[in-house]
Amino acid sequence: MKKSTIGKLCFVFWSCCLVVNAQAVESQVWSETDIALLRLHWIGSLPELQDDPTNKYADNPAAAKFGQKLFFDTRFSANGKVACASCHLPEKYFTDGLAKSRGVGEASRSAPSILGIAYSPWFFWDGRSDSLWSQALAPLESAVEHGGDRSQYARIIYTDHSYKKAYENLFGELPDISDTGRFPLSAGPVADQASDERWQGMSEKDRKAITRVFVNIGKAIAAYERLLIPAASRFDQYVEALLNSDSAGGNILTTDEVAGLKLFVGKAMCITCHQGPLFTNNSFHNVGTPDPATIKPKYLPPILHVLKDKPAVDEGRYKGIRQVLQSEFNCLNEYSDAKEDDCAELKFASTKHTATLGAFKVPSLRNVAETAPYMHSGQFSTLAEVLEHYNSAPRAHIGHNELLPLNLHQKELEQIEAFLNSLTSPPGVVEGLLRQP
Amino acid sequence: MVNKQMESINKINHNLISLILFIGFCFSTAVHASETLQVSSTTADSMHFHVSYTSKVEPLPLNRIHSWKLHIESLDGKAVENAEISVHGGMPAHKHGLPTEPVVTEIGTGDYLVEGIKFSMNGKWELWFNIRAGEITEKVKFNVEL
Repeated sequence: MKKSTIGKLCFVFWSCCLVVNAQAVESQVWSETDIALLRLHWIGSLPELQDDPTNKYADNPAAAKFGQKLFFDTRFSANGKVACASCHLPEKYFTDGLAKSRGVGEASRSAPSILGIAYSPWFFWDGRSDSLWSQALAPLESAVEHGGDRSQYARIIYTDHSYKKAYENLFGELPDISDTGRFPLSAGPVADQASDERWQGMSEKDRKAITRVFVNIGKAIAAYERLLIPAASRFDQYVEALLNSDSAGGNILTTDEVAGLKLFVGKAMCITCHQGPLFTNNSFHNVGTPDPATIKPKYLPPILHVLKDKPAVDEGRYKGIRQVLQSEFNCLNEYSDAKEDDCAELKFASTKHTATLGAFKVPSLRNVAETAPYMHSGQFSTLAEVLEHYNSAPRAHIGHNELLPLNLHQKELEQIEAFLNSLTSPPGVVEGLLRQP
Repeated sequence: MVNKQMESINKINHNLISLILFIGFCFSTAVHASETLQVSSTTADSMHFHVSYTSKVEPLPLNRIHSWKLHIESLDGKAVENAEISVHGGMPAHKHGLPTEPVVTEIGTGDYLVEGIKFSMNGKWELWFNIRAGEITEKVKFNVEL
């Protein structure tokens, strides 16, 4: 009797072991449907970059070469020390590792990576630009980023023999701006009052002539940025092995990374927004990210925090869509090369608070493990903090948090983080494009 | 002794198989119910209108602006013309609206062009059409699953 009970217990234990083993094996196995889903996120599924109808120089190699020079040139700033590459450092996956980027002053947001950015219809965290070239222009005239103005930048092109030649070969003859009475050394529609007054004092024709040069600077930089594409990561190698009928995926990912990937595409619902080969839908969502204006410093008593002067809460896309609709550089305006039919994203974009308030652009997760801090103002220092936020889905400080609590266990969060580490890869471009030419 | 052990193993196996079958049945029922809920309908009725749509892009695309042709009939089959139509919608589960503001223009004989539709996420969407024709104003809803 006793032996029989022991026998039964042994059998049950053995059965349990089998079930556990079966689950372990199961967790490593992908169905054909799963593999088809993974294929959609594989870098090999990244389609060829579509034409940019707003920029007829977008795929001109000479424009890209010229744009690369401009991207790394610190003369395009108020203090001669800030270039696009100051915040988009190639060695940091075109980010700067700061919560709030620093140009001539401190920006209010974090510089996102620009690898693969040309696939997006919207630019900046709040989508306040609808083309890559118009995005490139905004920091140049921001008081805290490059800090200069368009007249100053047009003059750099005009006085630098090599730039003037490259410009005229591409865009035609530069306007004669030698008369500094007519064309001030510094003038533009910027925050600096003196510069703005000089700008308003110019004739409309002269302002347009300068603006055209400024726009072409942006179009050349955009042509360069279109070449910055992420390469294959360990995740991609794993999927490629699965596609080649290697059910172990070449053993490229660890058990935890595979478990994390299963959660990422399944229970954790990350692919709802982080979808496709660039792991983004390039859309705007309110995920209840804490706002710097509402975060109470630990040392400050609550009553003092309430009374303290605080920056305005960041409305995100709600403000961004209004800015782009008013922008002189949007898809529908005269500096864009697009026809009206090419501007559907702008024409139909929602301005409603239910779609925009407190919403920010979904970033690509390519190289995410190497591009801390996270969120639009670097609110989280680590991926673990980001995942904890998504797991708990706290109430939004403004608008409505679209997230639903995931209630994942700590081990599951660690597995997702492990998977995210597999998305790191070098830029898929030739070395020569990653430095000043 | 061996026979008794085999008997108890058979009993356990039998119970285990029954349990697996039961769980399998529960899952298949659950999946079936869930699939039933997920079906996207291309027709919708209100008190006075029968409305249907065809998408210019099939299957419905994710993250791509596209157009629908909407057809509106009275319940006795007559084309509804000169209707004023507005659109709103979103994802109820996430409590957010559409990423775009679609625009409706009349084509004729009960047909209307809906431009600017975009679904930016996988999941369940609702599209509401507010139809005003003469004295009648009614709403119809389409459930869309991507």
